[in-house]
Amino acid sequence: MKFQQRSTPDAVEVRLMGRLEFTDHDRLHDIVGLLEITRARGFVVDLSGLEFIDSAGLGMLLILQEEAESRNVKLTVRGAQGDVRRSIDLARIGEIITIDS
Amino acid sequence: MQPVPPPPRPFCVMRASVPADMTSRVAERFALPGFALPGFGPAWTDALLLERADQDRLREAFDRNPFLTVELGEGGDEPAALRDDWSGAPAVEPGFYLSLTTGTAYGLQCAVLVCDELARRGGLPDGRRSNVELCLHEAIANAIVHGNLGIPSAAKSQPDGYRLFGRLLRERLGDPAAIRRRIDIFCRWSAAVLAVAVVDQGGGFDSAAPVAVADGKAQSGRGFLFMRALASGVTVTDGGRCTVLRFDL
Repeated sequence: MKFQQRSTPDAVEVRLMGRLEFTDHDRLHDIVGLLEITRARGFVVDLSGLEFIDSAGLGMLLILQEEAESRNVKLTVRGAQGDVRRSIDLARIGEIITIDS
Repeated sequence: MQPVPPPPRPFCVMRASVPADMTSRVAERFALPGFALPGFGPAWTDALLLERADQDRLREAFDRNPFLTVELGEGGDEPAALRDDWSGAPAVEPGFYLSLTTGTAYGLQCAVLVCDELARRGGLPDGRRSNVELCLHEAIANAIVHGNLGIPSAAKSQPDGYRLFGRLLRERLGDPAAIRRRIDIFCRWSAAVLAVAVVDQGGGFDSAAPVAVADGKAQSGRGFLFMRALASGVTVTDGGRCTVLRFDL
């Protein structure tokens, strides 16, 4: 998985690309690092460039949610489609994280 | 002075026959109705690839249509040993068997590779690819992480668990004994059924215990949820070391 980031006054946006899976834990550290330094109140994870996510990848989204919550930052996931959307729906991640279409 | 390159090591043996002990092991783990064990021609292909495997090398190996593709371990005279011992129990046709060390399998996207090969050999219809690939990926990830690398699922549940999990992962990937353990992937299919067995050499787990995803916020445990939702059948045998996925086609 690769990611790009951009910041606005209101939010940090991270766009994930490729596959998010169990071998990507080091990338998670990098993204949590962005959360740790942001002063914005919003954190957007854009999955529109993601082709595949496994159960470990979904676990990483939940970790980001916890990390954001603990810093009073609002996390939003958006842009999931195809197989990524299927996995998110199967695991009912939308009951825990705000998922925008 | 030029550095001396490491000696090439044999990587891969491909056969159209299977050693008898492996056949009995697989038959025991993979007993499913509807599959015959027809005789197979005496000819076999034996190819040695050099250096470490990547997806391109494994695809090149698969292109020779072997039944069995096996990564050899470090050291020893394994090619000779395999040649002596593998005296030609019949292969299962149609089917194929891929055996990799954990060090190679990690990060190789084995499920993609295996699904590509299943599709190439006519064992995986297009419309089923997505679900099969996700289930197979989850079974392989479990076999690598929780099986051969021995990292418990509970590691993620602790406070700051993902940091602990990452540290354990790095430690175990640096452990030569752990990364030498094998992941075996065995695929068989008929017109009606595709079955894939994923076997590891880890400590196993209590497959009778309920899968704990009661808490929707749990950061692990969804792999089996996916497999049970998307496969026609999931069977765990051999003390948790073998997961068999069945898909009605």
